[in-house]
Amino acid sequence: MNRHDLYKAIGEADDELLERSERKKRGRGHRKPWWAAVTAAVLVIAIAAGVIVKTGVGMEHASAEVIAEAVYPEMAPYPERDGFGFEGEEDRSAYRAWREDVRAQQMQESGYTDGLESFFSAGIRQFLSENEGENKVFSPINVYLELGMLAELTDGESRQQILELIGTDSVEALRTQAKAVWNAQYRNDGVTTSILANSLWLDEKIPVVSSALETLADNYYASSYQGRMGSRRFNRMLQDWLNEQTGGLLEKQVRETTLNEQTILALISTIYYKAQWGEKFDEENTLSDTFHALSGDITCDFMHGYGVETYYGAERFEAVSWKMDNDSGNMWFLLPQEGVTVENLLQDAETMDFLLNGGDPEKRKEVILNLSVPKFDITYETELSEGLQELGVTDIFDSSVADFSPLTGQADGICVSQANHNVRVAIDEKGVSAAAYTEIVMLGGGAADPEEIEMNLNRPFLFAITSHDGLPLFVGCVYEP
Amino acid sequence: MHDKRIVELYWARDAEAIVQSGRKYGAYCFSVAKNILDNHEDAEECVNDTWLDAWNAMPPHRPNVLRMFFVKITRRICLDRWRRRTAQKRGSGEVPAVLEELADCIADESDVEEELIAKELAECIRAFLRTLPARECDIFLRRYFFTEPIAEISAGYGITNNHTAVILSRTRNKLKTYLAGEGYFNE
Repeated sequence: MNRHDLYKAIGEADDELLERSERKKRGRGHRKPWWAAVTAAVLVIAIAAGVIVKTGVGMEHASAEVIAEAVYPEMAPYPERDGFGFEGEEDRSAYRAWREDVRAQQMQESGYTDGLESFFSAGIRQFLSENEGENKVFSPINVYLELGMLAELTDGESRQQILELIGTDSVEALRTQAKAVWNAQYRNDGVTTSILANSLWLDEKIPVVSSALETLADNYYASSYQGRMGSRRFNRMLQDWLNEQTGGLLEKQVRETTLNEQTILALISTIYYKAQWGEKFDEENTLSDTFHALSGDITCDFMHGYGVETYYGAERFEAVSWKMDNDSGNMWFLLPQEGVTVENLLQDAETMDFLLNGGDPEKRKEVILNLSVPKFDITYETELSEGLQELGVTDIFDSSVADFSPLTGQADGICVSQANHNVRVAIDEKGVSAAAYTEIVMLGGGAADPEEIEMNLNRPFLFAITSHDGLPLFVGCVYEP
Repeated sequence: MHDKRIVELYWARDAEAIVQSGRKYGAYCFSVAKNILDNHEDAEECVNDTWLDAWNAMPPHRPNVLRMFFVKITRRICLDRWRRRTAQKRGSGEVPAVLEELADCIADESDVEEELIAKELAECIRAFLRTLPARECDIFLRRYFFTEPIAEISAGYGITNNHTAVILSRTRNKLKTYLAGEGYFNE
């Protein structure tokens, strides 16, 4: 072997590594505190905003109106209960009503998540692989819906590029899928809130094709508003909408969110996800300990919990679940094996298979888990335009080729000028008393005693918050809790 | 034009494939060819040869990432061209420095090259790259795949030339250990 052989062999490097190496590191992104402290056990909020700009549009008077409004499904509240179950006919009947409503949302046509893996996997790699060492969170489902709406509003190659990225053949198929995905994730029962809220903000001078907005309202549950961009009244309307979608918890921060007068159209999506742990962490057991961060050891608060959970043993990582209360999903913690980094995991096929499809059932087992996890509260703000262009969605960012004719009936000079993705995830000890009925369901009658294992998340790890159907609502990396 | 459509044109034996490839990826492949050959005309010729090689490769190939498929061909053609040209002592480019650095990773150079060994070596390098932290791997590929000058890499990552050189040197040492572990030579 000589140096030429080596140079030649490097020429066979994996395409994905080569593509990644082209994305020049642009330095650590700044962290911006978006939201006030909250008290939920798990609170996750993502706001993605795609802003479409056309310059030279004049403004005259300030008016603002709702031109298409989404109607969310009604859901019976999760009944309050004392102790371990529902006693008395009234309680049981309230529980049945809640259960029926949840089932109605969850029972979507089989295969409704087919085809999403490829976009989710590309998106997770694209948007979490930058800036090693920085805490990051990405919501694949939030960006999927945002792209879906953009596909509805575009035509020609602009639309085709989006459809190819999100892995669907036609806008009709996308519409059906997006509606099923939206409904399957929806939960608003007083205990768990999981709402994928979408909206369009249109400048008053833009002629719009109302059928396009109706399609968005019916299938993407997106409300559309039209008014004078940059006006106080229109910004106030936007802020009211954001407050409503986020339960009013972020009122102070939402006040900083405004649209300027150059904007022609803004697509704003939020995910507000709030759930309580199935098995709470006792605050008395929260202790300071060492976390081995990339930059050196740091001290932080570790929560300690104990419960029957799922363990997954893979070649390059171990993963454990921590269930949410009232059947609202799971939080998964993925700890890389010694010598493997979080970045390695993001490029690892088995990790992706586990995150998106649950991995190999043979590698799963029920265990008694002693979990030690640092409390964290991370905010990540990123701009998606460049990453989306690297994933092949280019035309919507270029005013000379972007085709927004389905929205406006004309396609001149309109393009997406920015696509922000802001996510915050916070976990703490809070939760309800032991949810015995779910544990019983999980264990099953006569099951063998599960093995007892310990998991100490004291070095950088990956996490995912998955819904009941296993779809990743959020995936993130914690480098420094 | 979308990549999928370009690949379809190759499969349909439509010469428009070459026009579209040149339009979309000509400049991209040229930038890599220029790094390797440091000569405008030679680099241009190699890029033109790239489309012909691609024409012969598709079908049966159906590349997943067309851009990388093309640039790998360009790089291979450029290296051959560089080797022929060096025999005639023409030009320089980044290649001599890059090869000199790569010689650090090999304990005992020999000129025996077999097809099978080349294939195994490529697989070994791929596996090695997957073990690297993202930034080290990215910088390694900028230097030894894309053959970029160190100053350009440093500017891209916002670090000093010295820092880049140190990262590259550490990664080469890792590669040397890795190759020794795989039995390519005794350290």
